[in-house]
Amino acid sequence: MSTGFFTDTTLCIGCKACEVACKQWNELPSDGFAFTGMSYDNTVHLSGTTWRHVAFVENVQMDPQGLSDHWSMMSDVCKHCTHAGCLEACPTGAIIRNEFDNVYIQPDVCNGCGYCVPSCPFGVVDMIGQVASNAAYNVATLNQERRERDETAVQGRGGVAGKCTLCYDRQRDGFIPACAKACPTESIQFGDVDELKARAHERAQTLKERGLDASLYGVGWDSSVGDLNAFFLLTDRPERYNLPPEPVLPSTRQPAGYGAAAAAALVMFACGLAIFGRSPS
Amino acid sequence: MSEPVLPALPDEAYAGAGNGKVPQLNYFNRPLLRKLHWDERVITYLFLGGAMGGSGVLAALAQRSGNEPLTRTSRYLSLALAVACPAVLVSHLGRPERFHHMLRIAKLKSPMSMGAWALVGFGALAALNAGGQLSRDGVLPAWIRRLEAPFGVRLQGMLGAFTTGYTGVLLSATAVPLWARGKYHIPAASVCSAIASACALNSLALTRDRNGGEAQIKLERLEACASVLELGLLLHFRSHAGATGKPMFEGARGERLRTWTIGAGILAPLALNAISLLTRNHKKRPFVLRALLGGALTLAGGYIFRETLIEAGKASCEDPEQAFYQSK
Repeated sequence: MSTGFFTDTTLCIGCKACEVACKQWNELPSDGFAFTGMSYDNTVHLSGTTWRHVAFVENVQMDPQGLSDHWSMMSDVCKHCTHAGCLEACPTGAIIRNEFDNVYIQPDVCNGCGYCVPSCPFGVVDMIGQVASNAAYNVATLNQERRERDETAVQGRGGVAGKCTLCYDRQRDGFIPACAKACPTESIQFGDVDELKARAHERAQTLKERGLDASLYGVGWDSSVGDLNAFFLLTDRPERYNLPPEPVLPSTRQPAGYGAAAAAALVMFACGLAIFGRSPS
Repeated sequence: MSEPVLPALPDEAYAGAGNGKVPQLNYFNRPLLRKLHWDERVITYLFLGGAMGGSGVLAALAQRSGNEPLTRTSRYLSLALAVACPAVLVSHLGRPERFHHMLRIAKLKSPMSMGAWALVGFGALAALNAGGQLSRDGVLPAWIRRLEAPFGVRLQGMLGAFTTGYTGVLLSATAVPLWARGKYHIPAASVCSAIASACALNSLALTRDRNGGEAQIKLERLEACASVLELGLLLHFRSHAGATGKPMFEGARGERLRTWTIGAGILAPLALNAISLLTRNHKKRPFVLRALLGGALTLAGGYIFRETLIEAGKASCEDPEQAFYQSK
């Protein structure tokens, strides 16, 4: 069975309960107490220690009454792509697809090389414990028993990649992920991906009938990352939510790269052979 | 935590307002991509790994042409760099066993995995071939020579060539806009830069060798070929990349690239070569000072090239627009 999230942004009220529940369950450290001053969004971005992030999109529109604005909230999360850039890039095999068809980082195998970070076209994966902003991270606060059973995604050592595990530990015990459990409006729905997709299509249809410009992001699209196991219902352009409109799987550029490198190497060998020549003996 | 000040919404953002259109903007100008934590140790690895692979290529060329001094130098340098490179990587990863984690699996789709295996394979061959050389030089007993595989040096040359290029593929197979844009240019330029650095390094090592003059002249010529190709690739990449290339070719970083990589690393050594050609001195051994200066400048330029690539890639991650529309 493939499990995943359907995040319906039209139901999100921006309460950030998902962020808090995720931090609590996964024992993720604080990101510091800072105000961005730009909106109600002080989390700003997903990171190695923030696996749910509520975006506050400000819509400014001119209507006959004058300038009006409203917020669109969206709880962002790792997309658990069908063809995941991070998983392909990982040189240790630490990033795997688990039995729930989720993309999971095994923290005890991860060697902290950081190659998955630029390989994610969604900017989800990040390092834990190696960047300066995480210096205050205190591993002693982690639950000792869970850490020893390797069940906390953040291990008691610095410098590994971190992202949403889709609450692998909870799923194994038959619970739904912490964020979906905590969401008070069922904006975050967890379940079988096919079932969620059917539900999402139905919901988008209903909203369209009501005159809302609703579209599904990450379902049945023509992208090299494939369908997303965690997909979204949006009412605005994806860029407005900081989602790439046309994500490209980075490894699709490898044939071009290897080809160009091989061509250059052949030219160099040819020059070398011409210059050095063959031994007379 | 210092956050950048949010720029005021441009007027165009409201152009469609009233027509039911939503302003076409990004998310508060926040970057889409996460910044990598690769520091000067990774840059050093890219540089040394290139010089290592290039030395392997030179070892194969020297073997074929029967050039004794270059055979010796390139084999010793290959081994020395094959020891230094994993050490630099381990220092970046933090603990030695973390390098070993890369050897629990081989992944064709991951250039880093392929590179780790190439590095290990190259190291083993470099050790055998350098061992054979040490034995011929009378340092090690004669039986060591028998460990040299028949095609060992050629294989070392091929693995070396892979090592010079895979780092470029590794960079371009990411979502970083600048690197993605350079999917042809960066791997090819990495190969050229690596060969040029290896030529410079080997030439520097040969200055003390009484019989190294011929090899030095040939190395200078090969270096000139590599440098000219690298220069062409860089110039073409600049026009090809357009706005995506800003972090690499504009501002202080672009200035640094022009001064060091292009000026000092490519043009100055080419000019030094040209002087010797014009003075009809090119059949003779280059003056020691010229060899030292040219070699050092080429190496500096090679390092700055790698540094610019990595740092510009980091800066490129901060532009959400470039990251959004890179498929076009």
